[in-house]
Amino acid sequence: MSTIQLDDIRVEFDTPSGKVVAVNGVTQQVPSGGFVSLVGPSGCGKSTLLAVISGLTRATSGQVAVGGKAVTRPGRGIGVVFQEESTLPWRTVQENVQFALQIAGVDKGEQVERANWAIDLVGLKGFEKSYPSMLSGGMRQRVALARTLALEPGVVLMDEPFAALDQQTRIFLGAEVRDIWQRSQQTVLFVTHDISEAILLSQQVWVMSYRPGRIIDVIDVDLPEHRDASIVSSPAFNQLHNRVWSSLQEESKRGFRQQETRT
Amino acid sequence: MMTSVMGGDVEPGTGDDVSIERPDTESDRPVQLPRRWRLSDPLISAGATAGLLVVMAVVAEVGARSGWWRASTLPATSTMLSGVAGLMDDPQFWSDLTRSGLEIGLAILFGSTAGLLSGLLFWKLPTLGRIFEPYLVSFYAVPMVLFYPLAIVVVGINASSVVILATIMATIPVALNTTVGLNGIRPVYLKLSRSLQCKPHQMLFSIALPAAAPFIVAGLRLGVVYALIGSIAMEFVTAQAGLGYRIRYYYEIFDNDRMFAYILVVLVLSVLLTALLAGLERLVVKGRTS
Ligand SMILES: Nc1ncnc2c1ncn2[C@@H]1O[C@H](COP(=O)(O)OP(=O)(O)O)[C@@H](O)[C@H]1O
Ligand SMILES: [Mg+2]
Repeated sequence: MSTIQLDDIRVEFDTPSGKVVAVNGVTQQVPSGGFVSLVGPSGCGKSTLLAVISGLTRATSGQVAVGGKAVTRPGRGIGVVFQEESTLPWRTVQENVQFALQIAGVDKGEQVERANWAIDLVGLKGFEKSYPSMLSGGMRQRVALARTLALEPGVVLMDEPFAALDQQTRIFLGAEVRDIWQRSQQTVLFVTHDISEAILLSQQVWVMSYRPGRIIDVIDVDLPEHRDASIVSSPAFNQLHNRVWSSLQEESKRGFRQQETRT
Repeated sequence: MMTSVMGGDVEPGTGDDVSIERPDTESDRPVQLPRRWRLSDPLISAGATAGLLVVMAVVAEVGARSGWWRASTLPATSTMLSGVAGLMDDPQFWSDLTRSGLEIGLAILFGSTAGLLSGLLFWKLPTLGRIFEPYLVSFYAVPMVLFYPLAIVVVGINASSVVILATIMATIPVALNTTVGLNGIRPVYLKLSRSLQCKPHQMLFSIALPAAAPFIVAGLRLGVVYALIGSIAMEFVTAQAGLGYRIRYYYEIFDNDRMFAYILVVLVLSVLLTALLAGLERLVVKGRTS
């Protein structure tokens, strides 16, 4: 019901130094209820692709459809966790999480209930009355995560949500996100630059190239549904890791060289 | 830290324009910097102010009594205070106070409203903002008194001409700060509001204004001060009533004790207004800093 379909997506930006092709020729699909991770060197167009799917940015050409309907502007069914710090500093944790529900017109009692559920989910119980400035960067990102999860959208787009977290919290929250996904039937597209995280969480990994951003490799993760940390040391996991790594390595080198020659 | 920046200090390096205070609205500052005086800060500053006042009062008292300066230069504190006490049952004083209070109040009301609205306009229509901002900034350098004759020609010698000029003076810092605050909203907040499908009024009241609030309040603080300065100064120059006019009147008839009593009243008024605004500011930034 919430399949993400990308058909020949191309995104160009006009910049003072000329035209930048951020995304080019992306034709992919995330099946309804699927969990796909997107990895790629920084600046390759991952956030741009997410913005196109969420309806925040219009593709220069190509079609994007969610649940069979063309995406032309943001909609209720798509929740986004932004890469940038996005908590509202003038609202408490509770108020931040309720904000999305409030805008969505959820009635007051249910707002509180769902916010509490989401806050509990991301492990912030006890911090409801804290302001974001009193929390660490990682905790603030969890507030943003809770805000999106509280909406219970059919599609969740996460842009490096755990980049600011320490390793333990990252693993814990990753498992939590996977758990929520398994129970909820949500369709998830998850951007990360941590290969292990990508493999551990998802059913499929897309590797994106640097300028123009294309999907250069699609790797199915055929690991058991139930995954715990010990799976990281299995041969199957290692094989997947090597595959993603070698795809990425070529790309990163190329991207690095390109960036160097430009400056 | 933010509170101190917004307390009226202008950040070094950005000090090309005194009217634009730049509170740090970015939330990716280092987290939980230890701030030892956090809780007692207002207490300490209140205590320091009280202490300073006492010292000044004592110096004025002793200085005048022991003849360090002539009593006509600066009368003894007790003389000034009894002068103020004498004003309390002087109907003339109350009508002056009412008139000035009304002028200042109206200038604050109109100035804040006009400033906020023009700030919003300059934000929504960036081209317009770019055209007008330099003029607003250079308006600071113009002594408003120069426009007094014009105001008199237009509305005559009455409270309106004072209110008009004080309003203009109050409008400018509010407009500038509102514009700067709104233009400085982090793009991710706008993305968030679009992504959540905020309606225009939700976007304005739940995102834009709160996000720009530290700047807006800083602008309002300046606006209030300018309304006060504008009203009193304009009365002082040409008016037939009001605190400013009365100060000048007593100055001209050499009634120093009364003059200083009025000056003291104006000082108290400005301190009260400033304290009120500082309170508002604290309310707005509550929770934003650790
Ligand atoms: N609004 C924009 N205007 C101009 N260029 C942009 C804009 N957004 C992104 N870009 C450029 O597009 C490329 C991809 O950016 P982005 O999607 O943020 O990459 P990633 O998320 O993979 O790090 C980058 O080179 C970036 O500079
Ligand atoms: Mg990105």
